[in-house]
Amino acid sequence: MTEITTLLQIFIWGLTAGCIYVLMAVGLNMIFGVMKVVNFAHGEIMMLGAFASFGLYYYTGLNPYFLMLFSMVIIGVFGVIIERFGFRKVLGTGKLNEIFLSLGLIYILQNAAVKLWTDDIRKINSPYSSMTLDLGVLNITYDRIIAIAFTALILISLYLFLIRTDVGRALRATSQNHEAAMLMGVNVNHMYMLSFGIGSALAASAGTVHAILSPFNPYMGTIPGIMAFTVIIIGGLGSIPGAIIAGLMLGLVQNFTIFYFGGAWKEAVAFVLLIIVLVIRPTGIFGEEH
Amino acid sequence: MKIINAKLSIIALILLVLITAGCTDTSEEGTPEYINIGLVAPLSGGASDVGNDMKQAAVLAVEEINADGGVYVKEYGVKIPLKLVEGDTQTSPTEGVTAVERLITSENVVVLVGGFSSGVTLANQVPAAGKVPYIITGASSSQVTRRTEIDTSYFFHYCSTTDDYSQPILQFFVDELKPMVAADRDLKLALIYRDDAYGKGVIESSVAYIEDNSMPIELVAKEKYPTDETDFHTYLTKIAEAKPDAVYTVGFVKDTSSVYIQGQRDVGLNTLYMAVECNEDPAFYELLGEWGDGQLLESKFAPYAAEYTELMGPYKEAYLAKWDEMPGMMGADTYDGIYLAASAIERAGSLDRTQVRDAIKQTNEQEMLILLEGGNITFDEYNEISPIIFIEQMFWDEETEELKPVIILPDSLKEQDFVLPDNYEIGG
Repeated sequence: MTEITTLLQIFIWGLTAGCIYVLMAVGLNMIFGVMKVVNFAHGEIMMLGAFASFGLYYYTGLNPYFLMLFSMVIIGVFGVIIERFGFRKVLGTGKLNEIFLSLGLIYILQNAAVKLWTDDIRKINSPYSSMTLDLGVLNITYDRIIAIAFTALILISLYLFLIRTDVGRALRATSQNHEAAMLMGVNVNHMYMLSFGIGSALAASAGTVHAILSPFNPYMGTIPGIMAFTVIIIGGLGSIPGAIIAGLMLGLVQNFTIFYFGGAWKEAVAFVLLIIVLVIRPTGIFGEEH
Repeated sequence: MKIINAKLSIIALILLVLITAGCTDTSEEGTPEYINIGLVAPLSGGASDVGNDMKQAAVLAVEEINADGGVYVKEYGVKIPLKLVEGDTQTSPTEGVTAVERLITSENVVVLVGGFSSGVTLANQVPAAGKVPYIITGASSSQVTRRTEIDTSYFFHYCSTTDDYSQPILQFFVDELKPMVAADRDLKLALIYRDDAYGKGVIESSVAYIEDNSMPIELVAKEKYPTDETDFHTYLTKIAEAKPDAVYTVGFVKDTSSVYIQGQRDVGLNTLYMAVECNEDPAFYELLGEWGDGQLLESKFAPYAAEYTELMGPYKEAYLAKWDEMPGMMGADTYDGIYLAASAIERAGSLDRTQVRDAIKQTNEQEMLILLEGGNITFDEYNEISPIIFIEQMFWDEETEELKPVIILPDSLKEQDFVLPDNYEIGG
C-alpha cells in the first residue's frame, strides 16, 4: 500500500512538471489564437530563454528568478523579430509555408545556440537549491514552490492584462475575428507581434524554470515543445484555460504513470490522453467548434 | 557510331574524374600525402560533450604523431602524416551510418576510431563490416564484436564492456558496502537506467552476474527512463519507497548527475549512488558539485585522482594546454585508439585495410592511458581488451569548492578506504 506522503510527493512533482507545460502551452496558444500560426520551434524559443537566463546569471551572478524577467523581455523582443521578419512574410500564403518556416527555425535556433554556447551541459544554480519547506508530512524544495508560484503569478498577470487593458481586449478581439477587429480600428499587425512576443516570453519563463530545476543543453526544447502541442490539442486550440487545465493534467498523469506503470509509458500516456479526449470531445476540453 | 563514341568518351571522362578525385591526397610519385583516419563521434546531439572530448583527444594524438613526421609506411619508404577526418554521428544511429559511409567511400579512411553509445555504434559499424578496421573506443555493449549477423573481424573493442564493469561494481557492493550496512541480510539494491541498448545491456549483464554467482543482493527496484528524461523525481520516489541500501545508476552525464542531485536534495533518498564510467567527464564533477560528496563512480581513467601511470601527467598537461579543460575518459580511450591505429599501420607497412586489420589483431604493446590486465595491449578471441576497472569515491572540498575523486579500488591503486557518505541512511 502506497503511503499518502508518497502520493503527495508525486502530486508535487506532477504539478511542477505541469507548470512548465502550462507556460509553454499558454504561450503557444497565444500565438495560435491570435495569428492562427503553428510554431513548431516553440521548444527552441524555450531553450533560448534558458540560455538567456543562463548568460545573464553567468555574467551578473544575480538571483536567477529576478533575471528571468529580463530574459522574458529579451526573448519576447526576439519573438517579435521572428514574427515580423519570418512568419509575417508567409502569413496567408499557405499552411505548409508556415509549417516549414517553423520547422526550419528548429534547426537554425539549435545550431545557433550550439555555435554561441557550445553543446556543453549547463545548469543555473538557484540560491534556494538546498532549502526545503517542511510541511510535516513531506518536504518541498523552495525552487518547486517558487516555480508553482511564479507560474500562477504569470498567469494571473496575463489574465488581468487580457481582461482589464485596452491592448488585451484588442488582442482578444483579433483572436476572435480579424476582420471585425480591423474594422474597429485595431492594428492587427501589431497584435500579431504582441502575441508572438508574449508567447515567446512565456516560453522563456518555462525555459528558465526548467534550467533551474535540471541541467540543460541546446537540445532541451524538443520534448517540451512536442508536449506543449499535445497540451493545446487536449485543452482546445486557442483556449488559454484549456492549456492551463490540460498542462497540469498532463504533468500529473505522466508522473503517476511513471509511478504505477514505469517510465517507458511516460510519453505514450500523453498520446493516450490525447486520443481519449479527442474521442470524447474532438475540439479538445475547452475548444470551440468553428 | 558517333553517338556510341560520344557516350564512351563521356564514360571515360567520368571515370578519369572519379579516379583523380580518389587520389587527391596522393603526390606525383604515388605516395599519399596523408593517411586518413576517420573519427566516429557524436560531435552534435545529446552526447556532444563526450564527442567533443573524443575529438580533442584525437586531435592531440594526431598532432603528436605528426610532430614526429607521421607514420612510417614501408610500402612507400617514407613517413606519412595522419589526417583526422571527422564523422559526426549526431548521437543518432541513422546519422551515424551516413557519417561512417561517407568516411569510407568519400574520405577513403584507412582506419576508423571512436564510436560512442552502443545503440549508435551497433548501427554505424554495419557499413564498415568486413571492409574497414574500426577501433571502437566508446561503446560498452559486448555485441559490437560478438554479433554474428555481420562480419566483425575488422572491429576491435578498445574499451570496457558491460560485463567488464558489472563485476567490480557488484563485487564492491558485496565486499565493501554490505558488511557495513547489511551484515545480517541481503544488500538491497535499486537500479535506474536509460531505456536504450546501453542501459539495458549493463543491467542485463549485472542481473546475470548476480544470479550466476548467487550474490547476496536483493534487487528492490528496477526503473528505466526515456533517454531524454530530465525529471527523475517520481522514479526516485518509487525507489525510495523500496528502501534500498544503494542505487546503481546507468546513464550519461546529464541524467546521472540529475539522479544524484534530485535523489538527495528533493526526494530525500540519502543513500549511496554508483555511476558508470562514461560519467568520468569534467562536466559530471561540475554539475554534481557538493551533491557528489561521498558518492561513487566506476571508471578506468581517473585524471582527477592519482597519477597512476607515467603518461597521465604529460597527457593531462598537453590536453589542458591545448584545450584549456580537463580530459575525460572517452577521450583517453580515443587517444590510445589513434596511437594504436598509427602503430598498426606502421607494423603493417601498408595502407591496405586488411593488412592493417591483421596488424591490430596482432598488437602486443605497452599499455597507454587505459591500464590493462598484464600491462600490454592485446586483443582476445572476441577482439576485446581487458581493462583494469577502478571504483572512485568523490569528496567535496569546502576550501576549493571542488568535487575530487580518490581511488578506493582496486587495491593496487587504492588511495584510501571507502567510507559511508555523511548523509547516508541505511535501507531495508
